[in-house]
Amino acid sequence: MAKAGGITNAVNVGIAVQADWENREFISHISLNVRRLFEFLVQFESTTKSKLASLNEKLDLLERRLEMLEVQVSTATANPSLFAT
Amino acid sequence: METEISGMDNPAMTLDEVSMERNKSFVKALQELKNLRPQLYSAADYCEKSYLHSEQKQMVLDNLKDYTVKALVNAVDHLGTVASKLTDLFDHQNSDISTMEMRASCVSQQLLTCRTYIDKEGLRQQQLLAVIPLHHKHYILPNSVNKRVHFSPLRRTDTRQNHYQAISRLQPSDAPASKSLSWHLGSETKSTLKGTSTVAPSSKDSKAFSKTSGVFHLLGDDENIANKKPLAGSQVSGVPAASTAHKDLEVPKLLTAHRSLDNNPRREIIQAPVRTKSVLSAFFVKQKTPKLKAGYVS
Repeated sequence: MAKAGGITNAVNVGIAVQADWENREFISHISLNVRRLFEFLVQFESTTKSKLASLNEKLDLLERRLEMLEVQVSTATANPSLFAT
Repeated sequence: METEISGMDNPAMTLDEVSMERNKSFVKALQELKNLRPQLYSAADYCEKSYLHSEQKQMVLDNLKDYTVKALVNAVDHLGTVASKLTDLFDHQNSDISTMEMRASCVSQQLLTCRTYIDKEGLRQQQLLAVIPLHHKHYILPNSVNKRVHFSPLRRTDTRQNHYQAISRLQPSDAPASKSLSWHLGSETKSTLKGTSTVAPSSKDSKAFSKTSGVFHLLGDDENIANKKPLAGSQVSGVPAASTAHKDLEVPKLLTAHRSLDNNPRREIIQAPVRTKSVLSAFFVKQKTPKLKAGYVS
């Protein structure tokens, strides 16, 4: 009886250890995927910031250009005698 | 999602409406992603409590594992949707900016073209003020040629020019048509006068001038006679036919002589005595004009 109880306990411990390893494996998979997701988020943040900076630069350039054109057009329309031939 | 895609693909929507729809879908996806976090927190609290207070812990653990996997996939899906919509929005913003840059370049090009046109127009107006005196000189030039045309019998055997010369001799000098005629003659003889003016007789050519003047004097006289011959023959009835036939035979020789002189490379030296011939022929013309006028009247 004592031997049988000892074998049963050993089997239960082995099953528990195996379940524990399976849980650890699952947690490691989940943590790995979360880490990949985090890396993706970091990379996406940097890419988005770079795109936003480029877009902002283009918008600034376009705004200055439009202001210059607006001034030129207003100067040209303020002197209609230049167009009268 | 399907309704959003069908709404963005609708061709009846304007550009602003499409852009607004994209912004709305991105904001909606971002809001869903934001709402996912409290749901995950609440699910984690529920799983923790159920695991602690439940007796069937293994079953709760299995349910928690399944829910964790599904929640992670759902979060990745939401993140992917938000990232895709944000990238799409960036692309369209870049496209809009490129379109705006192209329109600004078009406006700039139009301004540059307008400025160039204004510059050219101003330059043309300034050039007109400088061109007007040149036209004035151009119209004065035939009047100065007119005097020479009357007194310079040219060596050209063109029948049309002989006809003009005959008409100018028959018509009075103060006739109104003589100005237009002299203008035509001046425009035609301009090249020949330039040739004679460039080859003005110098001291070196004086010997050649004295040697060739006699020859060309005869030629000029014969030419004058030959030029006047058809007029006299056609209008004066008292001219003998033998002399006219004899002069008709001489005319082709003179023409061939002139052609040979025209082909001569030393033409410039020979052209100089033409002015003396013209002076002498002017005297002959004055002597013969009463006869011509008498014959024309008869």
